[in-house]
Amino acid sequence: MTPRLRLAGVAWEVGGRPVLSGVTFDLRGGEVAVVTGRNGAGKSTLLDIVAGLRQSTGGDVRLDERPLAAWDPRARARVIAHLPQIVRPDLPFLAGELVLMGRYPHTDRWFEGDEDRAAVERAMRRTHCWELRDRLLQTLSGGERQRVLLAACFAQEPALLLLDEPSTHLDVDQQMHCFSLLREESARGAACLAVTHDLNLALAYATRLIVLADGRVALDASIEDAIRSTGWLSLFSPRLTMTTTAAGRAWVSYS
Amino acid sequence: MSGSSRHPARWVGVFALVFIASGLLLPFVGPVALSAARVRMHQEPDWSILVQLRLSRTLLGLLAGGALALAGALFQAVLRDALATPYTLGISAGASLGAVTSIWLGWQQVAGLPAIWVTALLGSAVVLALVVGAALQQRRLSSFSLLLSGLAANSVCSAFIIVIYGLVSASQSFSISRWLIGGLDAIDYVTLGGFVVVVAIAASIVIRQAKSWNLMAVDPAWAATRGAHVTRLTLSGYAAGSILTAVTVALTGPIGFVGLVVPHLVRTRIGADHRVLMPCAFLGGGILLAACDAVGRIVMAPSEVPAGAVMAILGGPYLVWVLRQRSIA
Repeated sequence: MTPRLRLAGVAWEVGGRPVLSGVTFDLRGGEVAVVTGRNGAGKSTLLDIVAGLRQSTGGDVRLDERPLAAWDPRARARVIAHLPQIVRPDLPFLAGELVLMGRYPHTDRWFEGDEDRAAVERAMRRTHCWELRDRLLQTLSGGERQRVLLAACFAQEPALLLLDEPSTHLDVDQQMHCFSLLREESARGAACLAVTHDLNLALAYATRLIVLADGRVALDASIEDAIRSTGWLSLFSPRLTMTTTAAGRAWVSYS
Repeated sequence: MSGSSRHPARWVGVFALVFIASGLLLPFVGPVALSAARVRMHQEPDWSILVQLRLSRTLLGLLAGGALALAGALFQAVLRDALATPYTLGISAGASLGAVTSIWLGWQQVAGLPAIWVTALLGSAVVLALVVGAALQQRRLSSFSLLLSGLAANSVCSAFIIVIYGLVSASQSFSISRWLIGGLDAIDYVTLGGFVVVVAIAASIVIRQAKSWNLMAVDPAWAATRGAHVTRLTLSGYAAGSILTAVTVALTGPIGFVGLVVPHLVRTRIGADHRVLMPCAFLGGGILLAACDAVGRIVMAPSEVPAGAVMAILGGPYLVWVLRQRSIA
């Protein structure tokens, strides 16, 4: 299987200061890759480049073997969905209207068809926000709004999901649900690239861990390997250790 | 979902019916009562008053109000700021300065077009370029700095208008001040025809892209990752919004309030989906301006209150009341 996404030596700098350099990896359908790293390591910048929101200043980004910059935005939006880190809270739209926007790349019709409505309902039920569909976004709590945004990404039915801190504002139960949905997406063949600071969520649900440090890939390993050799934990803090829970799960704890 | 998303579309039909009814009925409102029987027989003076004076003026009001309200809805989507209007961005002041300049220099025609149209369009384009240029930081537009530079442009243009006002003859200063008040006048049908064509083209370009304006109203990055050409879209939005504003201001003078109040009311009462919001704002803005003009014709007859003044007097308190209602709810 050819990789969905292929990054080779990707760099991004602003004002002569390198934010990313030499970022190289492939991503295939079926993978849930978590990108993590300390603040300012370049995680969001990396996601923005893959989403087409920033033009890399060096290197090569390919989506389905074609240079990303050669993609028409609409064709690209049928393949990639991007969950932004922040969306302003005072949006005047209904939750259902926002999720419907995920269907825009798929249809030229002025008003949505039955197929679009079915995709919206499916996506909103999956992220537990169908009952919020007629609520104004500005009246929702942070966690409710995050579930609606996630639903908008799922309604786009993408082959590549880019999620910038998808578990923000979610309670613990919804955080686990959110990452289990990413596993479902990968099971149907999609590739997921998610930024998170929650290492334990990553160990429990991801298939792969990519750690950025100072704009470079410091670790790119399967979750099994990341659990076996734990040197990368020192990239975050000297106080982290890998332990095993009573149920036999790997667990990062701090001392 | 199906009910809630389809239902607001019916409002477009309701607004369209009221819009057409306004065009048919408002010409009969005025200081001189017209007899329907005499009009039907094409008898004078009723027939001429209706067709030459009141009908053209009502049609101008319907289209001018529509153009300004649509431009307001458009700028609010592009800038994601409820306060963005042709007026607050300084575009309407730039058009005013352009129009006043051509009155001052006594220009009648430029390239076969009415000089006021050309200079108003030029003035709004220059102001827009300056305002956008001043607000541009690292290729990103902050709506706050855009509104701030719009405010600055407003002051500068007003100052220049005052300077020109001091330079002109008495008759010119009368026509400038008459024009600056902002109101509707009888207009010849050739000019009206040209106005209809420009507004129809610009409005249909804007409304056709309603789904893209929905995306832009969320965030440019949201729009880009849902298939919109953001730069192209932003440029075409500024261009269409400026054209709508400039040609309208050239014919009516600056009428500020309609671009703020109408999109806001439609958004809070009907919804923010631009496929419904934009047609409703256009139709509603036209109805409101034409109705305010009709009120202005009779409320202090035989003297007239300009439509812009009627709108501000009635619309200002109403907008505040709506905002209060919402904050209580």
